[in-house]
Amino acid sequence: MTTITYPLSRIEGHARVVIDVHDDEVFRADFQAMEMRGFGHYVRGVPAEQITVIVPRICGVCSTAHQVASVKALEDVFDITPPPLAEDIREVLLLGQLIQNQATSLFIFTMPDRANASSLFELSQSETGKAREFSLAQNALKIRKIGTDLISLAGGQFIHPIKTVIGGVTSGIPREKADAMIKTIDELLPVAVDLVDNYWQLSLEMVDRIGTWGDDEPTFYLASTEANNFRLNSKRLRVMCNEERECHTFAPQDYEKYINIEGSDYSYAGISDFQGHIMRANSLARINLTDSFGTPKADAYLKRFGEAYGKPAHAILFFDLCRGIELVFALEKAHQMLEFDLEHGETEVGYMPKDGIGFGLVEAPRGPLIHRYEVENGLIKKADFIIPTVHNMLAIRRALMVAAKRYVSPDGISAELERAVGRVVRAFDPCIACATK
Amino acid sequence: METPKDLPKFAVLQLSGCSGCEVSLLNSDEWISNFQLVYMPLVVTSHKIPEDVEVLLVTGGVRTDEDIHNLRKGRSRAKKLIAVGTCALSGGVAQFKDNHIARESFIKASHRLRMPDMLPNAYPLDRFVDVDLYLPGCPPTPELFMTALKDPENAKIASIVCQECGRQKLNDMRPTSITGTRSGVVLPDICLVNQGYVCVGTSTRGGCGALCTRPGHACVGCRGPANPYLNKEPKFVLDNLRRVFARMTDIPAEEIDEALASPWLSLFLGQFTDYTQDQSLPQRTKEKMI
Repeated sequence: MTTITYPLSRIEGHARVVIDVHDDEVFRADFQAMEMRGFGHYVRGVPAEQITVIVPRICGVCSTAHQVASVKALEDVFDITPPPLAEDIREVLLLGQLIQNQATSLFIFTMPDRANASSLFELSQSETGKAREFSLAQNALKIRKIGTDLISLAGGQFIHPIKTVIGGVTSGIPREKADAMIKTIDELLPVAVDLVDNYWQLSLEMVDRIGTWGDDEPTFYLASTEANNFRLNSKRLRVMCNEERECHTFAPQDYEKYINIEGSDYSYAGISDFQGHIMRANSLARINLTDSFGTPKADAYLKRFGEAYGKPAHAILFFDLCRGIELVFALEKAHQMLEFDLEHGETEVGYMPKDGIGFGLVEAPRGPLIHRYEVENGLIKKADFIIPTVHNMLAIRRALMVAAKRYVSPDGISAELERAVGRVVRAFDPCIACATK
Repeated sequence: METPKDLPKFAVLQLSGCSGCEVSLLNSDEWISNFQLVYMPLVVTSHKIPEDVEVLLVTGGVRTDEDIHNLRKGRSRAKKLIAVGTCALSGGVAQFKDNHIARESFIKASHRLRMPDMLPNAYPLDRFVDVDLYLPGCPPTPELFMTALKDPENAKIASIVCQECGRQKLNDMRPTSITGTRSGVVLPDICLVNQGYVCVGTSTRGGCGALCTRPGHACVGCRGPANPYLNKEPKFVLDNLRRVFARMTDIPAEEIDEALASPWLSLFLGQFTDYTQDQSLPQRTKEKMI
């Protein structure tokens, strides 16, 4: 028996892939999270209202999603509804996070795979290729920065934001700042579209080279965005079963009826299934469950994607293309929302703290994120974090198995396997810090 | 023109943390043209730190036996090591301090047969290696990263958060009880202490641009103690905060004490001040702080 270990880079956190091969047969392909964050333990006994400052620290990449989910869970416990203006500002905040995350995943994490480079920065320094022509690194970082600037605008600061509070948000978005952001988006949307087209083209070239989009069997798909109203500040979860349209919808309160989460002794991350079935969350799940974005450029990409690859589509590397579509959507949508008056009107309502159980749901870049809190005597008795990366664990394992079988043959283990392993894992854009909360 | 190969080697080692420091660093992209990035697994395919690194940033706390190994190896290969972020300076959120219930349940849950061992606590870097420069913050802002990388010797850092906050301290607005984490509407332009919030900006190192307090969120102390309280026992920081509240408010002392001991503030304030409890750790001089 030969055990091959591949350490992983260009993903969030510490993880590795371990593959067991005997003769020319693949026995095991595991994705292992190598550290444990353990927030469920730290927050026991913390005054409930303070948890919203602590839990963004679960992950610096997803801190915005954790903060909003945390606030929504406490609003559920305290039985209050924030004003519509606050809901809209939270949406802008989450759009900022989607832009930041998808730009990071597309250009910093996965673009180098398509150009055979070790990093985006190496790409920009190389003398040849399209990279220089497109000022790739520079432009990619500019697009990513729109995301972080939007988070700062709506959230106060771009990592561990602070402006979302129980009952609403602390302040609106002043007109002149909204206008400045609109101007930046107007300027850079064509650059983003160019980058996404370039990325799409490089992906096609890569697929020609390697001969696959990463084919795998269909799975269930899980998202909390709506088919015709793509809101990240979401209210319910939707599920697509094998090849069907939507087959279940449920409130975050009912997640345990559908989703089963377990631990394992070969990883610090949890593993979940949907009533015994493998599921996928993240960009491809959302695209498969979206009929229309309601913004022109994103809808054109959605159509192009559906015509080229069918809908639902299942190959692993489609996750990456879908991130590109969502990046364009989030820029267009942020532009739309900033045109409204987000400055005047009620931004928050008062509340009386009380005990109880509450759930907070948002669509994080990696899929639906749920925080569940039990509050007793004003303190957190128990906190559960239901993490989208965990929902992808079985799908990642199966996709790794498919890749391993492809590159292990009687002739030996192909050197391409290491690259394939990286491509598969990065397509799911896992977040280890979150998955080991 | 210099080719990237002539530029000094720059590496970023991430121990146990949230990647927030790396995300912040990516927003201060000027370093890309000043350094040759040789190791930063978040953005570069790289599995080991090469020799002769000029500057090594280390983020995250020491949490696993692998962390200790990687940190020591990194130190031996770098001329200058900068500890970045709260976790690297204090152990961070994962610091259990005297919370034995959390420690016990964590250790029980973290047992795995085939995984690196989790240590019983999260530790600051200087428990294991020499640190040349400390860059506190959760996370440090992109501007602070640039200060640390460009010209740290001549850095001018605001002594406390209040210096950059711009909110006015009033003599005639004296709350009689703590307002809580958040309730009611924050008045613009007026000091949060005047409004009854437990803001610890008066004792916390500045340089962050008062990112939290300006929009109305009380400072939780993520940049750690200001220079006068470096290496001092917790008592000195807490006494200073008590004095501030006695001078500016009519809130009973017991209520303030209770608030200062709350887990919310212990997230940072407690961690940094707790540092001095361990006599084996080196002194952090103000020259080494950004």
